[in-house]
Amino acid sequence: MPEMVFVALIVGLKQTYCKNTMVKIKKNIAISDSGFVFDPGSGDSYSLNPSGLEIVQMIKLGKDFSAILEAVTEKYEVDSGSFERYYYDFIATLAQLHLTEPDGKD
Amino acid sequence: MTKLAFERPIIQRINAGLPSKYGMSHRLEPLSHIDGTPIKDLIGEFGSPLFVLSESTIRKTYKEAHRAFSSRYPNVQFAWSYKTNYLNAVCNVFHQEGAWAEVVSGFEYDKAIANGVPGELILFNGPDKSTEDLQKAIRNNSLIHLDHFDELYEIIHLSKEMTERPKVAIRVNMDTGIYPKWDRFGFNYENGEAWDALNRIMANKNLDLMGLHTHIGTYMMSVDAYRIAAGKLADLAIKLERKHGHVLKYIDMGGGFASKNTLRGAYYPGTDTAPSFDDFAEAITSVLMSSDIKPDHLPMLILETGRAMIDDAGYLVGTVIANKRLADGRRATILDAGVNLLFTAFWYEHDVRPVQPVSDQTEDTTLYGPLCMNIDVIRGNVMFPLLKKGDQYVIKRVGAYNNTQWMQFITLRPNVVMLDSKGNPHLIRKREVLETINSQEVMPEHLKQFKL
Ligand SMILES: Cc1ncc(COP(=O)(O)O)c(C=O)c1O
Repeated sequence: MPEMVFVALIVGLKQTYCKNTMVKIKKNIAISDSGFVFDPGSGDSYSLNPSGLEIVQMIKLGKDFSAILEAVTEKYEVDSGSFERYYYDFIATLAQLHLTEPDGKD
Repeated sequence: MTKLAFERPIIQRINAGLPSKYGMSHRLEPLSHIDGTPIKDLIGEFGSPLFVLSESTIRKTYKEAHRAFSSRYPNVQFAWSYKTNYLNAVCNVFHQEGAWAEVVSGFEYDKAIANGVPGELILFNGPDKSTEDLQKAIRNNSLIHLDHFDELYEIIHLSKEMTERPKVAIRVNMDTGIYPKWDRFGFNYENGEAWDALNRIMANKNLDLMGLHTHIGTYMMSVDAYRIAAGKLADLAIKLERKHGHVLKYIDMGGGFASKNTLRGAYYPGTDTAPSFDDFAEAITSVLMSSDIKPDHLPMLILETGRAMIDDAGYLVGTVIANKRLADGRRATILDAGVNLLFTAFWYEHDVRPVQPVSDQTEDTTLYGPLCMNIDVIRGNVMFPLLKKGDQYVIKRVGAYNNTQWMQFITLRPNVVMLDSKGNPHLIRKREVLETINSQEVMPEHLKQFKL
C-alpha cells in the first residue's frame, strides 16, 4: 500500500518536472564550491552533500535530467532506476525550499 | 575502471547556533550484529520483520540485578513478571537463573505452571482472580497477593471449604511522593486500610499471612520513592510483630525500575537518566536494614523487576519499505514494523539504527510503520541517515511489553528468535499464518456461501 503511494508520488513528480525537464535554480541563490547555499531572499542557508552539489552545478549549466543521468551513471556506481528516484526526490526538496523557479517561469 | 560509490543527493537547512537536543549532533552508528550474529543473516533465515532476543543479555542483566541486591541484603529473591514478556523461552531463562514467577491472571498462572514452576513459588497478583483461579492457587500453596476486601472475603470463604490453608499477602498502595499516585491497586497505607486488612487476616485462623507487597509505579526514575515505600512496609511489619507477634516471611517491593529507554519528550536519553540496579538496591536495602525489624527476623526481599530486566535483551529488526516526503518537506521513511508490533513506540523514543553502514548524512526523518493509520509512528523527528528501500534497520531495547502487548492488526505477527550464548538462533515463537487466526473463527452455516 505505501509503496503504491510512493509510486504515485514519483509519477506525480515526473509529470511536474518532465513536462519542462529544465529545472532552474533561482538566479539570486548563491552556491559555493563547498556546497554552502545561501538564499538572500529568506536569509536561510543550506548545505549540499557532494553529490547534491554536483547535480546542482549541472542544473546551473542547463543540463536536463537525461544529460545528468548519463553523467552520473558513467561516473558512479548507481543504476538509472535508483538515480531517477533520488533525482526527483532531490528536485522536489529544492522546490519545497523555494530554491528553484516555480513551474513554467524562468 | 571501477566506478565511485554514489551517495544520494541531499540538501539540508543549516540551523544557526542551536545545537541539537543532546548537545552536538551525533552520528548514528550502524548495528550490524547481535551477539556476534549478522542481522542480515537472521533476516535472511527467519524473515522480516523479526524479533531477536539475546539470552546472554538476559542472563547478564539478571546477574547484575541479583548481585546489586544480594551484596547488600541477606535474603533476596526475584520473581519474573510474566506480563513483561511471557514467551516461554524467556520465562525459562529467568527460571533457570533462579527467578520465581509473578503472574496477574489465570492465563499467566497456568503458563507458569505449564513451564514447570512449583505452585508455591508463584506470586499471584492483580485485581482479577476468578473463584477457580483462587481455588487453584490455594490448592497449589501459591502466594496470593490480595488486592481488595472483596477478594479477602472470598478467600476467607474458600478457606472454610478447602483443606489447604491459603497463603496470602496484601498489596499496599501509598504516597511515595510521585505523581500520579497508584492508588487503584491494593489497600491504602495512609488511610489505615492496609493495617485494617492485616488485622482482619490475623484475626482469621484459616489464613497464613506471608508477606507484604507493593508496586509503586512503572518506569520509576526516583530511588527516593522506593526508600519511602520500603520504610512504610517495614513499619507495617514492625507493627505486626509488636501487636500479633507475627513475623513476615517476605516484603515484595514489586517492579518499576526504569529501563535505559528514553521516554517520549524526555530531555536527556534514558541511558543517562535511569538509576542503576545498585542505586535502587541501596535505597531499598538500607531502609530495611536500618529499620526496627530484628536482624534475625529480616524478611526475604522479593523483587518483580520487569522492564529493566529484559528491555536491553530485545531487538526488532526489519526492512525499509519506502521513502516519501511529507507536505512540509520532511522525510518519511516507512518501515515494515509498526506500532502493532512495537507497542512501546507509544511511550519511548526508541533507538533505531541502520544495520549496514550508510552515509554520515542525516536528515530530519519520521519513521512510520506500514499500517494504514496516522498513529503508526515508530519514531518522530529523528536525525536519521538516508536509508533506501530494502535497507535494514534495527530497533534496540524492545524486550519489555512488546511480545505481550503486540496486536494482530492487518497483518500477522512475525517470528521471534532467541540467540543462545554462542549466538546461534533458536526459533521460540513461530510467525503466525492465516490458519492461526482463522482456526479461532467459526462460520455460521447460513453465511458459508455467497454469490457475487
Ligand atoms: C504487580 C507488578 N509487578 C511487577 C511489574 C513489572 O513492572 P516493571 O516492568 O515496571 O518493572 C508490574 C507491571 O506493571 C506489576 O503490575
